[in-house]
This record gives sequence, C-alpha cells and structure tokens, in this order.
Amino acid sequence: MSAVAGDGTATARIGISIAPFAPLLACLGLLAAWQIGALLLGTDSIPTALDALRAVPDILGDRSGLANILDSIRRMAIGLASAVVVSIPLGLAMGRVPAVASFFNPILMVTYPVPKAALMPVIMLWLGVGDLSKTLVIFLAVTLPIIYHSFEGAKAVEEKMIWSGAAMGMSRLQIMARIVLPAALPEILAGCRTGLVLALITMVTSEMIARKSGAGNILFNALDMGQYDTVFAMIIIIGALGIIFDAAFDRLRRALVAWSDTRQDIPLSFS
Amino acid sequence: MRATLSRDIVLGAIPLILIAAVWQAIVSFGYAPAALLPPPGAVFVRLVHQLGGTDFLAQGGATLLRLFVGFTIAAVLGIGIGLMAAVHRGVDAVVRPLVRVLAPVPKVALYPALLLLLGFDHASKIALVVADALFPILLSTYYGATTIEQKLVWSALAAGTPPHQVLYKVVLPAAMPSILTGCRIALVISCIVVFLAEMISSTDGLGYLLVRAARSFQTVDMFVPLISISLLGLILNALLYGARKVLLRGFPEV
Amino acid sequence: MRPLTMPRDSIANGPPAVPVRAAPPMIAIQGVSQTFKTAGRKDHLAISDINLDIADGAFVSILGPSGCGKSTLLYIVGGFVAPTAGIVKVKDKAITGPGPDRGPVFQEFALFPWKTVLGNVIYGLRQQGVPRAEAEERGHKLLAMVGLKGYEAFYPKELSGGMKQRVAIARTLAYNPSVLLMDEPFGALDAHTRTRLQNDLLDIWERDRKTVLFVTHAVDEAVYLSDKVIVMSRSPGRIKKVVDIDLPRPRRRAELLLDVHYQKYVVDIERLIEDAPEDAVHP
Repeated sequence: MSAVAGDGTATARIGISIAPFAPLLACLGLLAAWQIGALLLGTDSIPTALDALRAVPDILGDRSGLANILDSIRRMAIGLASAVVVSIPLGLAMGRVPAVASFFNPILMVTYPVPKAALMPVIMLWLGVGDLSKTLVIFLAVTLPIIYHSFEGAKAVEEKMIWSGAAMGMSRLQIMARIVLPAALPEILAGCRTGLVLALITMVTSEMIARKSGAGNILFNALDMGQYDTVFAMIIIIGALGIIFDAAFDRLRRALVAWSDTRQDIPLSFS
Repeated sequence: MRATLSRDIVLGAIPLILIAAVWQAIVSFGYAPAALLPPPGAVFVRLVHQLGGTDFLAQGGATLLRLFVGFTIAAVLGIGIGLMAAVHRGVDAVVRPLVRVLAPVPKVALYPALLLLLGFDHASKIALVVADALFPILLSTYYGATTIEQKLVWSALAAGTPPHQVLYKVVLPAAMPSILTGCRIALVISCIVVFLAEMISSTDGLGYLLVRAARSFQTVDMFVPLISISLLGLILNALLYGARKVLLRGFPEV
Repeated sequence: MRPLTMPRDSIANGPPAVPVRAAPPMIAIQGVSQTFKTAGRKDHLAISDINLDIADGAFVSILGPSGCGKSTLLYIVGGFVAPTAGIVKVKDKAITGPGPDRGPVFQEFALFPWKTVLGNVIYGLRQQGVPRAEAEERGHKLLAMVGLKGYEAFYPKELSGGMKQRVAIARTLAYNPSVLLMDEPFGALDAHTRTRLQNDLLDIWERDRKTVLFVTHAVDEAVYLSDKVIVMSRSPGRIKKVVDIDLPRPRRRAELLLDVHYQKYVVDIERLIEDAPEDAVHP
C-alpha cells in the first residue's frame, strides 16, 4: 500500500542488484515447488523435477529427438518469417489508408476468434500432414496479431510528421518506408513478439493434432505411451524454448527501438 | 459521416462475399470434390439444423461452461494479483520475475501435465484456460494500476479515504480501461484454448465434434464446430464490448 | 555558480514587517529537506532546510523556476511525500499523512474519470459519512458557486480544462479543509480562462478566508493573488526571499495592472529570479 500512499515519487526501487537474476530465481523456485509437490503427491504419473531434468539430455542427445525438435523450429521460423513479410506492409497500409482498413477490418475481425490450429484437420485434408500444412497453420496464426499491431502503430503516427515528410518532397511510398515504418516500429515489434510466442504455441498444437514429427509429437506420444519422464522433460524443453526465444527477441527489440520509451517488457497478448 | 459509414460497410463486405463466392464457385464448378470442401450453403444449413438439436447444444454447453469457469477464475486471479503486485513492493518482487518466466511459456505444452494431474474431465481443460487467460489479464491490470495518475490517489487520500480502501476505490476503477482490454484479449484466447483442449483429449464439447467429424471424414460436420466457436467468440466479444461501453462511460475514448 | 545574493538566514525568518502573532501559525514548516535517490549518481537534494510559518487565513504563494522543489514542498505539506528531514505542523500538530484538513488542487485536475461531476464533488463528503441526499444538496450548492450549475450529470471528459479545474476546486472545498494546497492549478489553462479562474478564486477566498498555499511559476499571478510571496531558488531548492504583498483587497486584476505598487512588486520579483543561477525562469 505504501507505494501508492506516497513515497513512490522518486525513491529508487529496492532490489536493483538482484533484479537481473530474479527470473533465474523464479525458475529455480518453480522447479523447487514442482520437486516438493511431486514428492508429496508420490504418484507415478508425476515425476519429480529432477527426474524430468535428467530426461532432457536423453531427448536432446537422441538423433531423432533432436531432429524432431529442429524440424519444429524450422517450420516455426518459416511460418513466422513469411507472416512478418506479409503482415507488416498490410498493417501499415491499413493504418494509413482508410479504404484499405475498411476493406480488411471485418474479415480480420471475423477470423480473429477462429482457433487457427483447429484448422489443422481441414487443411490436412487438402494439403496432407506434411510440412506445408503445419507451416501454413503457423502462418495463419501469426499474421493477425502482427497485422493488428502494425495497423495500430501506423494509425498512431503523428500526422504532422507525415506532413513534414511530404513538405520535404517525399513520395507516398517514401513516407511509408522512412516515416511510418520507423515510427510504428515499437508497436510492430510488440506484435512480432506476440507472434513469436504464438508461432511456438501453434507449432506444438499442430503437431499434437497431426502426429507425424516435431516436438509436440514427442510430447503427446510419450503421454500416450505412459513415458512420464519424457512428457515432463519435453514440457521443460518447450517451455525453455518459449523463454529463450522471447528473451532473445526482447534483446533485439530493445536494440532496435532504444529511442522509444515503451515500458511494456512483456507483451499482453499471448494465446 | 453516414456516407463514409455505409462505404465502410460496402468495402468490408467485399472480401467476406468474395470468399463465400469463391468457395461456392470452387464447389459448383467441380474444382474440389464436396468431400474435401463442402458448399457453404450446406455448412450453413447443417449449422442451423444442429442448433435445433439437443445433442449439439449440449456439446456447445460443455464448451461454454469450461470457457466461462476458466475465464472467470483467470479474471479474478489476474485482477487480484495484478493489483496487489502494483501496489505492494513485496508482492511485486515475487510476481514480476515469475510472470516474466511463465508468460512466454506455451501453455498448451502444459496440457499433458494438467491431464496427468487433474484427469481427463472438466478440470484439466478449465485449468488450461486459466493458465492461458491469466497472463493477459494480470499484465494489463498491472500496467493499468502502475500507470494511474498518482494525484488521483492523493486526491482520494486527502478527501479522507482510508489507505486500505484506495485499492478498490481508486486504483481498480482507474485501471479499468486497461483491465478490460486485457479481458478482451483473454476472452478470445479462452475460446481458442478451450476448443484446442477439447480437440486434443475430450469426449464432449465443440472441439471434440470437430475431431469426431474428421475421423469419419464428414467435412460438413468439421466446419460446423469451427464456425460455431468463431461465432461464440464474436458474440462474447460483443457482450464484453457492451459491458465496456457502460463501465467506461466516463473515460475518454480508448 | 554564483553565490546567492543574500544570506539565507536573514530571509527565512521573513522580514520584520510581519506582525508577531500569539496564536500558533496554521502551517509551520520546520527544517524540511527532501533528497531524491537518483539512479547511479549521487543523491539529489531537491529542497534544503526550509523553515516557514504560514498564518491562518493567509494567501501565500510559492514562486520559483521549475526544478526548485516548490511542488515537492507542497506535497510534503499535503502529507503525500514524506520529507527526508524536518517536520510540518498544521495547527500545531505534526502531520503524518494526507488528511481532509488540507485539500489539494492539482494542475492535472485529477478528477475521477469514472464519476460524474456531482459524484466527484460529493466524494469527500460521502467518505466522511455524510448521507447521500445531504451530500448532493451541498454538492449542488458548491457547483452553483463555481459556476457549473446544470453540469452535475456530466462526466469530466465532457468539460473544458477550465471547467474541470472548477470541479476540482469544488471537490476540495466540499470537505471544508482548513488549508487549500494549490499546485500550479491554472498552469494548464489558456490565458483568458486563467484570468477568470484567478478572479473567481479570489472571490471564493474572500468569503471564508481559508489558508491557501499556492504554487506557481508566474510572477504576476503570485503578486495578484497573494498576501505573501515566497521566492525560491533551485539546486537545491531554498527560500530566497519572502516578499509581503501590501496591496489593498479586494483586488481587481484590471485595476492592478495600472497600479504602480503592483508593477513594482512584479519587477522586483522578476529581478530576484533573474538573479538566480542558470536559466532559472522557465515558461
């Protein structure tokens, strides 16, 4: 309560020195809680954190296990990259040209609540269970948030900045590339960050539904076969992928938009 | 104003109509067999037909129940923890790093663990919805509560508000726009997640209907639950939007 | 950095012209300092050893360049910020936090956006347990007094800046504080609106003569409104001089503008501020 009551004006936050290690401590705390919980439960189906951690090198050391995970990451990267290439220009155009916005808005709104991974069974009918279907699903899942954030970012660009550009003799395309894009970049990158985690989620889900290869496949096959150590080890691996990708992207984002004072260090819209 | 509004509607309708037309054309001109792509009319008729049947409604009801319970728990926890972390240093010091670690973890990957822990019935699906919907609400509450105008709190304190009441008399209402934004994101996520959970392991619900239809290659029946969950999402979104209009009537447009 | 033109001690106690009162002052600021921790570098001394007595019913302005800590001093008196050193007494009792005896009016208005105009005005009354019907009746009267009759059901977002500040003043007056703490209340308003609100504030003040502590960076505003102007210097914020404004009341701005005494006060204080180190006068 005291933080609100008044002493929060300019006093430095306590714990600055341990701040960089706080996420690490949080990880350790979670693992410890898991360990204690599993020991207390004492059932076969819930291994302890240590048992699960011990199984991690087994999966990563196994040739097919690692290949599966790398396959997953490749699909994720291709889906994400193609979504970024398509979504950013579209979102920016929507943000600056009202007609484009009115054209695309309703269809985006209608497709927004469609669970993209749930399209997997339908898309599999058309394109098979291979890479193409899974990559397409990832692409579909990631486009919407990036379009939306680019749209919001471009819409919020100060009109007078654009006037200044026009006064300097820039063409519409130049204004887009040199003014709107950089000005909207913080927002665009927030969208990309959401997209990144979304891509990972969709990757896992699509592989759960179309069990052929990939990290999600290992996870759910292990569940079906009762190899609980493997199940929980895979959860750790996928969770770690999420945390690592997100942290790496955040580094990149901070470097790119160091000039901006966006304070949100965790994006809101994971799904 | 009116002219641009109707122009927007026309423009926005074009892609929707176009998709329906292309879809219909592909089927009509025989480019794709109906087994792979049923005509839109057939899907629509089936949807309307099923909405009259008790079985479909029961499946939809199961989905809605999980969605509602999960979302409500997530909202209560998210708003509660978010507010506490925003005003209390100690809570903040614990919650911040935990959220930083847990937020980017793909929650679906936790689903097998939830199944093993909570069984194959409602509980595991509700828990997954909570896990996924919690973070948008928690984070938006936290950001909303930490960015409120300090002088609102001061004004309330000076007017004689006891410090322990400031949390719900000032911080909560002042953070409401942000909280509701988080709730809207969380609601869509909940719709998606509950459906996926039912697809992965369930014996009822809309997601299960999709999987059941896919197993027997009933394409029409595959599209019906997909469209139903989207419609459900749209309706719930509209309800929330209405609630937002009422709750935030004093706030500038957000 | 040139040294200050006058020794601090002789100023802080005020010029001897102030009549010595037997009763304790309404506000007594005693040895107040405020240090802010800054990231990395050494701590920043925002205000240093302020001593000041403010008599009951006085209209006192704190005038200074931005960064001189004048708002911080006001927040300390309000009890919103705890001073690093020193105490503040109100009616001879040391304050421990905010309280309804000191009502703030902020430059940012700080109205509750989720409450209507009337809801804002009666907030403090309801907080003190006044029944709704009675609170609303008093709210209506206050709104009429600040010239906002008929706007009871409006939301703050529907009002102009000047109207919002009128609501904020009414909201604070509603719980009848002994002291009004005004933090650049007219700083965000256009010149025309500012003048009207200054006049109206004086009218309201003439009625019940509450003690007012008024922070501003506008010299003419301070001279026009106040009995006493506290001129502050910055880095660290110190009282540079206390100027008594001996102009007859009630004052009318249009007449004052031609008044030689008024002009002399303004010019003298302007010079005092010009004397301050660096670019002391900010817009």
